[in-house]
Amino acid sequence: MRRVLTMIMLGAAVALSGCSTVDYGDAQARETVNTDFGSTDLQMIASKMVDDMLVFPPIVQLTQSRRPVVFVDSIKNKTTEHIDTESITDTIQSKLLNSGKFRFVDMTKVESVREQLDYQSESGLVDPNTAAQMGRQIGAEFMMYGNFSSIVKREGSTKDVYYKFTLKLMNIQTGIIEWANEKEIRKTQKKSLFGM
Amino acid sequence: MTIFRPLMALLVALLLTACSASNMGQLEVDENGETVTRVYSNNSLLSSRISVPDLKQKKVGDLLYMQATLENDWKFQLDFQYKVKFFDADGFELQPEAQPWRQVVMAGRSQNNIKAIAPNPSAVRFEIWVQE
Repeated sequence: MRRVLTMIMLGAAVALSGCSTVDYGDAQARETVNTDFGSTDLQMIASKMVDDMLVFPPIVQLTQSRRPVVFVDSIKNKTTEHIDTESITDTIQSKLLNSGKFRFVDMTKVESVREQLDYQSESGLVDPNTAAQMGRQIGAEFMMYGNFSSIVKREGSTKDVYYKFTLKLMNIQTGIIEWANEKEIRKTQKKSLFGM
Repeated sequence: MTIFRPLMALLVALLLTACSASNMGQLEVDENGETVTRVYSNNSLLSSRISVPDLKQKKVGDLLYMQATLENDWKFQLDFQYKVKFFDADGFELQPEAQPWRQVVMAGRSQNNIKAIAPNPSAVRFEIWVQE
């Protein structure tokens, strides 16, 4: 009996230590650890929004000969999870910026910019010929904003999560929404006996 | 001893199913966007079950826009991921880390159109990669 117990403990030790390695993986690979919002969802949303915006005919026409300036407002998180929605808009902003079609103003850095402008104009340490001038910033023409909502349902060992991400682009002067799109994601988790 | 054998069998089964690696196949599209060349990678099975009966590309503004019709040649549902890689005229891949794997689930013997737009105007060519 003691021999059997030793073998069981040895087997359990092998089972527990079998796959506990740390390794680098592909950051773009599909992540399905659970139904919570994850990196794949973020990437899918950003790609869908950017792809759709860049092929929308009025946007194509708008960006044909100039690069409109956009200001990114927050995405309202209406899901039941704590999600860093700024991370989603950061990815969308980076992709749009890299496409060469849009430019952005960063409202989170207004105070830092003001401090730097004050330093350059008032400290007496900066050559006035190279100092950045007050009142020369370019005003944003469009505002990007949106909502992120979810519906979660559970039944026995099954969990179903539906996400809907909505993004809109509004002309600040006219108030007209020039473009809007949605991305829906459905994730279902079924727990089996051994949690595989 | 009668308890020991099933227990060990269960442990072995769990160990075998715990860690599985995904394989990758590649469908390559040539520069003129008309001929499709199937390149076998370490997952020839997946590649052999997907074909590209139709392929379109156009310029949207100055960005390359592609649409490929993927066909599941298998009679069962196929669940896989694809990624579209864009290249410039010198063969450099454009923003490789900005192109995510996208999930697609296709019913048996069905077709699905996938679309992607180049990350910037310097793209002239693209490749479609698939993996499980």
